[in-house]
Amino acid sequence: MPTHRTHNSSAVPSQTAIETRGLTKRYGERRAIDGVDLRVPRGSAFGFLGPNGAGKTTMIRMLLGLTSSSDGSMSLLGHPVPADRAVALQRVGAIVEEPRFHMHLSGRENLRVVAAVRGPEARSRIVPALERVGLAERADEKVKRYSLGMRQRLGVARCLLADPLLLILDEPTNGLDPGGIQEFRWMIRAMVEQEGRTVFISSHLLDEVEKICDAAAIVDRGRVVTQGPIAELAGAGAREELILGVDDVDSALAVLAGTDTVLEAHASDGCIRVVLAFGPDTAAEVNALLVSEGVAVDRLEPVRHSLEQRFLEITSRIDDPTRQEVAA
Amino acid sequence: MNAETMVQMVGADLLKLRKKRGTLIWALVLAVGSQVVFFVVGALQHSSDPLHNAPVGGVNGLRHGLDLLCFFVGPLAAVLIGTEAGAGDSSAGVFRDLVVTGRSRLALFASRVPAALAMTVPLVTLGFAAMCAGIFLFAGSEPLPAVSTLAWCYAFALLANGLLCLVAVGLSSLLNSKPATITALIGWQLVLSPVIIGVSSLGATRELLLDAPLLHVDPVRAGHPEIAMSLIAVLVTVIAWPLVAATLGAWRTRTMDA
Repeated sequence: MPTHRTHNSSAVPSQTAIETRGLTKRYGERRAIDGVDLRVPRGSAFGFLGPNGAGKTTMIRMLLGLTSSSDGSMSLLGHPVPADRAVALQRVGAIVEEPRFHMHLSGRENLRVVAAVRGPEARSRIVPALERVGLAERADEKVKRYSLGMRQRLGVARCLLADPLLLILDEPTNGLDPGGIQEFRWMIRAMVEQEGRTVFISSHLLDEVEKICDAAAIVDRGRVVTQGPIAELAGAGAREELILGVDDVDSALAVLAGTDTVLEAHASDGCIRVVLAFGPDTAAEVNALLVSEGVAVDRLEPVRHSLEQRFLEITSRIDDPTRQEVAA
Repeated sequence: MNAETMVQMVGADLLKLRKKRGTLIWALVLAVGSQVVFFVVGALQHSSDPLHNAPVGGVNGLRHGLDLLCFFVGPLAAVLIGTEAGAGDSSAGVFRDLVVTGRSRLALFASRVPAALAMTVPLVTLGFAAMCAGIFLFAGSEPLPAVSTLAWCYAFALLANGLLCLVAVGLSSLLNSKPATITALIGWQLVLSPVIIGVSSLGATRELLLDAPLLHVDPVRAGHPEIAMSLIAVLVTVIAWPLVAATLGAWRTRTMDA
């Protein structure tokens, strides 16, 4: 269709790896995905964050053509999907939910099966892919003897057969031990920074996304609530806070109660937690005020706002104040 | 998609079948083991009581052996292979990983068909070879079949088992379930179909059954078909069964959520 072809320019590669507009998936009356506009820049690690049941896997399944969309449009690497799905997926590797294999075949044979479907050039990538994920020595063992972590790595190797410009990974660290998670993190960062690939990671593990990804979108109940660079997401709308260590907590609280620089102050675990009224630059003023009033300050630490805190604040499902306090 | 890729895909499907040892062993037991058991038991009966038990080999052995290979136990092997080829990817959860390569779903379905046939042909050949060994070894005073008759019987065995294998590929792709496909085909071919064939009041309607044209072209029953059919009716039924099953299987493979 002509409208689709206008997007399909191989001469000028699209700057976005994934783009959706008004993407919707309905199951009867229920909207699993509700008008999602998403833009994933090329050459980045992008997190797709959301609680269980938020619609992350449904979104991935639509992008990959595993299930049809009800409305809206989407493109992968500049190619409209599903119109140019075959071309779009040539350079896309994906793990949807847990990686599944023919258990009666070896790791190498499983890759041979997928390489045969991908085309002749994929066959030459089997050995490098196995080496890349550290499975070369156990490639000839049957997959039924692999641990879950090894299957995850074999799933990544299967993705690499496409020499992917875009990797779509659904909960990729499930089943990995701490060492495996760290290795996985390094591998993803190397793919992005050294090889220029784009990695789209769906996860409910906020800490992982914060450590691996450059940018993220937060999805809840089928809607993208916010998206952008991790630092912006974590800090957006957050209050400037300090933790103060002092020799006399009561005196310090009395001093802080009398200044406009401080919006709020309360004792917490032997320290004082302060909300600044006018931004981070006023932290020095607070310190000077306390010292001038005879209160010794031995600790002055800005509170770092984590993605987790931001996530808990904005996902409508989690509105229990005690949980927000714990997250903070 | 070029021919090289299709050949590779068929090779991959063949690899999956070849390495499925459980299925392969059962298929061998059904196709070859049944022949061995039939001829060995027949030979023992003949040696213990020659007056009441004729030699199990020769022309008589060919008729019974071919029935076993083409209508009773042999087709079960073809059904096992066809079902594994049709529903193996889905039941292993790998189908979606093949779909996300961008390869057409019809191509994914199409590669299963030659792979299943390529696995069925050697099984039938081994079963036929076992039958021939029994025919010659235990012929005793019975006349031996001509080589040309054996050649026709071999072709017939390939046809009967090949057809059922193709139906199994299509049906298992449609149902996406190995147990359901195996149960349905065994129930139909071994129980319902022979019963319906025997109900003469159904008349020409019985020509729609897959067994009807097979019985018609069975070399050892030549001239004595259970149902009189024209050559065109034979051809139409023989082509329609695998074609309809394959069309339904391809449709399901193309449209289902992976």
